[in-house]
Amino acid sequence: VQEKEELIEEWQPEPLVPSVPKDHPALNYNIVSGPPTHTVTVNGKKCINFASFNFLGLLDNEKVKSAAQASLKKYGVGTCGPRGFYGTFDVHLELEERLAEFMRTEEAIIYSYGFATIASAIPAYSKRGDIVFVDEAACFAIQKGLQASRSSIKLFKHNDMADLERLLKEQETEDQKNPRKARVTRRFIVVEGLYMNTGDVCPLPELIKLKYKYKVRIFLEESLSFGVLGERGRGITEHFGINIDDIDLISANMENSLASIGGFCCGRSFIIDHQRLSGQGYCFSASLPPLLAAAAIEALNIMEDNPDIFQTLRAKCERIHKALQG
Amino acid sequence: MANPSAVCNGHLHHHHHQKQNNLLKSGIYKKNGITKGAKKNGVSNGTLYKKTFIEHFEQAPMYVAVLTFLGFGVGTIFGYLRDFMRACGLEKRHIAAEREEQKDFVPLYQDFENFYTRNLYMRIRDNWNRPICSVPGPQFDLMERVTDDYNWTFRFTGRTIKNVINMGSYNYLGFAETDVNALKTVTRELQKYGTGVCSTRQEMGTLDKHVELEQLVAKFLGVEDAMVFGMGFATNSMNIPALVGKGCLILSDELNHTSLVLGARLSGATIRIFKHNNMQSLEKLLREAIIYGQPRSRRAWRKIIILVEGIYSMEGSIVRLPELVSLKKKYKAYLYLDEAHSIGAVGATGRGVVEYFGMSPDDVDVLMGTFTKSFGAAGGYIAGKKDLVDFLRTHSHSAVYATSMCPAVAEQIIRAMKCLMGLDGTTQGLQRVRQLGKNTRYFRRRLHEMGFIIYGNDDSPVVPLLLYMPGKIGAFARRMLQKNIGVVVVGFPATPITESRARFCVSAAHTREMLDTVLNALDELGDFLRLKYSRYSKSSHPELYEETRLELED
Repeated sequence: VQEKEELIEEWQPEPLVPSVPKDHPALNYNIVSGPPTHTVTVNGKKCINFASFNFLGLLDNEKVKSAAQASLKKYGVGTCGPRGFYGTFDVHLELEERLAEFMRTEEAIIYSYGFATIASAIPAYSKRGDIVFVDEAACFAIQKGLQASRSSIKLFKHNDMADLERLLKEQETEDQKNPRKARVTRRFIVVEGLYMNTGDVCPLPELIKLKYKYKVRIFLEESLSFGVLGERGRGITEHFGINIDDIDLISANMENSLASIGGFCCGRSFIIDHQRLSGQGYCFSASLPPLLAAAAIEALNIMEDNPDIFQTLRAKCERIHKALQG
Repeated sequence: MANPSAVCNGHLHHHHHQKQNNLLKSGIYKKNGITKGAKKNGVSNGTLYKKTFIEHFEQAPMYVAVLTFLGFGVGTIFGYLRDFMRACGLEKRHIAAEREEQKDFVPLYQDFENFYTRNLYMRIRDNWNRPICSVPGPQFDLMERVTDDYNWTFRFTGRTIKNVINMGSYNYLGFAETDVNALKTVTRELQKYGTGVCSTRQEMGTLDKHVELEQLVAKFLGVEDAMVFGMGFATNSMNIPALVGKGCLILSDELNHTSLVLGARLSGATIRIFKHNNMQSLEKLLREAIIYGQPRSRRAWRKIIILVEGIYSMEGSIVRLPELVSLKKKYKAYLYLDEAHSIGAVGATGRGVVEYFGMSPDDVDVLMGTFTKSFGAAGGYIAGKKDLVDFLRTHSHSAVYATSMCPAVAEQIIRAMKCLMGLDGTTQGLQRVRQLGKNTRYFRRRLHEMGFIIYGNDDSPVVPLLLYMPGKIGAFARRMLQKNIGVVVVGFPATPITESRARFCVSAAHTREMLDTVLNALDELGDFLRLKYSRYSKSSHPELYEETRLELED
């Protein structure tokens, strides 16, 4: 017993956090005074804003702001509860309907934080023992979702369909060795519409072909491509002209083009309804403040009424690309 | 003030003490609640706890457990019957089905996993996800919805049920309000900044509003620095992995919230669980960990961190902070306190469990909390020493990858906090905290008198009322709605299978009349549904009650 007491006395833990040097580049944030629209005042200096994800310029739109003000007067700020316990407002239901209509799917589900959307959606379907094929350049939220799901992860080289096919073939041979297990192992491919880390688009038509050949489900993460690609901003499925029912789940966040906060998933009811009971970020967290939901609805209205903003955006992107490439 | 209450409380304790001895003799035992707590407070730990710590976890009579299992059994048998009939085609399939083109894919859901959802949850599904169409204050308006096919689908009739008393929303201090004066600054900021931020903290997302908010939070809690995040759930799940990693040990309470469990799992550290609020179990684990080290290599642990919550949302119990801090100091572990429900709700000026126990915020290493509950907004914070917060600013996943908080929401938190601290020139904040305390104690006392089984600490505004049987869950919630009162009921899997409960959240905005309406309705319903399982109703000691009532209404 004496020995035990000595051990307890002697043990020294590490400090809770290692000390951070004062000149660490990420320590002192750039402070933006005022709204982060096209011109920002950073640390006191006026600059042109090429850093925010304000793709459609809806951040300082008057209509969006007045919709949010009206909602503030009616509902206050917070929702004081998760969706299951009186945290479901009629604006949430309306936003879900509008998003499903806009994306032409059966149902949509809203999360209160963009990061939590894909990070809760993946573990709701993919569990320990399932296999997920994911692109190397997947964003951090996807990585966290995969980590939380505890499935086996197979990375394929960025946008390299040959590499993915090789992995799928390997998996097929594995399956033939153990057909019983193969019958219950779910398989998923997780890709992004527009990659955050590299800025290019995934080859969706080839992926659909692979999906039906090897019987794998596709989860598409469209945070950056929603409201950017496609004739009317419906994302990469519209860009390539693919039937939206071919994609099992589309997840996007509303923090880029829609200039609000939060995220949504859309797809067929068969798939989306499951998240209402098993999506952790949905069931165990307070719902989206209604003023942000009202702002998103108004932003959707603007997107539907003015389809030419997507043309404008694309023309500007092409111009910049040409100019930078020389 | 101090002296008479000491005598009162001593008196009260004495009675508790005696009662337990009688019960122990008659063979009815209790969970780790009154028995040990009362003895400790009376004798050895009298110095550690500055006020009495009374928690109740009464067990129901045996016949209740038997009937509960019977109820679930009958439900399961019918479930199998229904599944069989659906498989044969005798009954219509209501759930959405897989696409024709994908019928030969591996099935997405195993039938068995959804058995409980399909057969038991579906029957009483109308008690959850009830949509509202007004501010979630002390009273709200519900949208009326009916089902034509036994809860498989709902449709809205278009009518609203007005002025339903709200006993379900987390509105502890009543800041969920639409009063134009109160929201003046929020309206102004919304007009100035818009709704979104479109960037992460480390890029272009740190607005001056965030800096102002962080400084205010640090001042409110009495710590060196604080950092705010956009979502409470994400605060835990993204920052715990930044603080601990492989080779560290996490000791987490049995009943911790999903966000803490997820954060602990994502960090990669070893997790060990100790019994709920049980300091002996925790001490045993701590000693074992330090003496024996890591499981296979026997190397010493790099760090040991204890994850607890201030108020547990399903039990209503308050963490035993003084004992915890003395343990932590003795064994050199770190303490992570999640004050999601307790910030603003307990403590003399609303500063949480640290103030409630009269301790200093320096004793807790990481103070975490959310703004959703008491402040009527959204988001979370982590506060503590400057080193800690600096580290989180550079290394937290949220700062690098996740969007920052909406500025209008930040303004709501700022005005609520200023109101609480008294910086806006009124004493409204303090009044709200006092009103919440009064409401809580009144509500709990009356429920105890009526004979219901209530869990939790006498000072916690979260009041779980035990229902036990699955049939009563649906009946209770529906009948309360008929009486125009909205309640929250919880069953398996959020609670153990035999302990389904109704959970009330008392708010500072509730008036005495509203509470009385609810209590009368509960009284009637309790007799009708036979929910009054408690074997010790306090009304047998009316003279004690007179004394405590005098003490409270000062």
